[in-house]
Amino acid sequence: MLRWKRWRFAMLAILPTLAIFAWVRMYPIVETLRLSLHQWDILSKNKPFIGLQNFRELFQDQLFLEALINTSAIAFGVLFITIPTALVISALIYHRTRSRFAGFYETTVFIPHIVSLVPAAMAWKWIFDANLGPLNGLLQSVGLPAQPWLFDPVLSVIAIIILCSWQALGYAVLIYLVGFKNLPVSLFEAAKLDGAGGIARFWYISVPMLKPITLYVSVVTLISAFNVYAQAFVLASDSQGAPGRQVRVLVLDMLENAFRNYRIGYAAAEAVILLAIVLLLTLVQFGLLREKGRR
Amino acid sequence: MKVGTMKPLALAASLASATMLAAAPAHAETLTVWSGFPEMAPFYERVAEALKQDYPDLEVNVEAIALREHEKRIALGLTSGAGGVKVIELAGSTAQRYIENDLLPPVPDDLADFVTDPENFGEFFVESASDDGTVYGVPLFRGQGALFYNVDMLEAAGLDGPPATMAEYTDYAEKLTQRDDNGNPTVSGWSLRLSGGGQGIAEKFWINLFQFGGDLLEQTDDGKWRAAYANEAGRQALKQYLQNVHTLNTVSEQMPADAEAFQREQTAMFIRESWVIGDTAAKAPDLNYATAPLPEGSIALAVNLYVSDADSEAAWAFTREANEPEHLVWMLENVGWLPNRANVDYSPVTEAIPQFSAFVDYPADYEFFTLPAIGPIEEILTRFAAQLTRAFGDASLAEDDAAIDAYLAAAAEETNRILEREGLLAQ
Repeated sequence: MLRWKRWRFAMLAILPTLAIFAWVRMYPIVETLRLSLHQWDILSKNKPFIGLQNFRELFQDQLFLEALINTSAIAFGVLFITIPTALVISALIYHRTRSRFAGFYETTVFIPHIVSLVPAAMAWKWIFDANLGPLNGLLQSVGLPAQPWLFDPVLSVIAIIILCSWQALGYAVLIYLVGFKNLPVSLFEAAKLDGAGGIARFWYISVPMLKPITLYVSVVTLISAFNVYAQAFVLASDSQGAPGRQVRVLVLDMLENAFRNYRIGYAAAEAVILLAIVLLLTLVQFGLLREKGRR
Repeated sequence: MKVGTMKPLALAASLASATMLAAAPAHAETLTVWSGFPEMAPFYERVAEALKQDYPDLEVNVEAIALREHEKRIALGLTSGAGGVKVIELAGSTAQRYIENDLLPPVPDDLADFVTDPENFGEFFVESASDDGTVYGVPLFRGQGALFYNVDMLEAAGLDGPPATMAEYTDYAEKLTQRDDNGNPTVSGWSLRLSGGGQGIAEKFWINLFQFGGDLLEQTDDGKWRAAYANEAGRQALKQYLQNVHTLNTVSEQMPADAEAFQREQTAMFIRESWVIGDTAAKAPDLNYATAPLPEGSIALAVNLYVSDADSEAAWAFTREANEPEHLVWMLENVGWLPNRANVDYSPVTEAIPQFSAFVDYPADYEFFTLPAIGPIEEILTRFAAQLTRAFGDASLAEDDAAIDAYLAAAAEETNRILEREGLLAQ
């Protein structure tokens, strides 16, 4: 009886939160799934059910496929740059914990993460500018040719990867630093006594023991990178169509289909595919990085 | 406090409340004006100020943002029933979907009479504001293209007057391009819209296509549509872009473009609407430039004012006030968009600012085209723009007519698929 009462109290206590969660998180997802099976132009009262027609059309849509390839390239590019770089930088900062500059290092790395995205992207747009940008200035000063960063189909994707990685790095470093601070010091001391050098200790102790942190950071980074939008929009946008290749990414394609082409069902189908990809990749990451003992 | 002292206080409070209520404005209302052209904000503020004579307590909020974001705002705002009365500035072709779905009400009878009076507006503008004979919008201004050219640069290149044919456009572009020691262009001869997002690339291509006698879409006798650019005119238009970019190297994707480049003397000529005149007066008042009509004709994109709430007297009054001659002349002079109302004397402005000549004094056989008022027009243009962007970047197409034809045929197939999906494809 007491147990039932406790259970009932717990349920009643959690119910408001659950209700809010269901309303703001679950309902939109379910509604998106439902809309993906319908044809709807956002304006009409009619929403005819069309089954999987939206999905069939998507996989023959060149713009969607281009967006899918670009987004995947950006997401994995950001992941492969951010994770190792963050690991190394956090190790270096952790190594200098007792330095009076430790706080400065942490702040410097973290600032890009909290800077507002649009002005940051505008600044990078200038950096990548083919004619006036300091990046090309730097390349030319060492005898390399200037590159059309925002116009070449490949370089423009690389430009977005660099921008996204720059932004993602601060958060990853911060989380890794927390991980480093929780590693048992005794292990490092024992390894040191056994003659292991700094790099060996990092590679054979820190990296394996930080696997749960790596899992978390890589999942967050990948999901965030798959949702890239503002960076692509700002790097190519201008009120007068000034130079800038529009790198088509999934969220941008979705917005275009929903609010320019008035195809909400079609855009919802894209959202479902994005959700499926992110879920699948998260599961794969869990499979690869989860500690074996916990399976 | 005693009851006896409460009574006078209560009476005073009641009297004060009654006085305040009596003083409350008869037309207390808030209007929000949604515009897709930031440069139009001062115009609407001016109209709002003038309207205060009849509606002293009317509060008007002008929210003018970039066009593409404005279109998204309307799609979301109108369908979700965003609160408050809105006066919405929208191209007739874009408004069609909303009208078909009863999201924009028809104008009141007296305003409909004003719009349909041939003294006030030509047939083209009445049609663009109407659907099936019913008037839904109040015409305001139009986007009409013309050539803008830098007079000093033409003179320096030994060119006497603006180009008159599309072949001359390319010749001029070649002669006007300024290059560095390595032959790379530093000032483009003719700024073309080659990149960016949205449908602007397709609209600009359409203007050039029209000069070659082509059209993006054609309507058949059954009232339906089909792609009309996979032909000789389409090939010539695309080839001209490709040759300028890849063969003659008169312009490149990387070069500064459009009005900003023109105002900074980074390009010698480009095709744009009349708003550039107002913009240039503000940003580069000393620029020595002139305008010229295009070889065959121009786009004329009629923009109207719509109201979200049929019962809002003040909102309809706003659309009518916006068409008062004094405001229209002010708009032409200070913003540069061409007013649609006919029976207004614009000569003080057009005579004082000679750059308007190309927009008002054009040949008798000058033709105009506009975006058809069909639901999927934005999707057609946006997707065609994506196809064009890819084509512009493909140097191998420049001298290969067969490849250009194949490219255009594939793009036209996509256009026709969209029309077919919407039940609009001509048989």
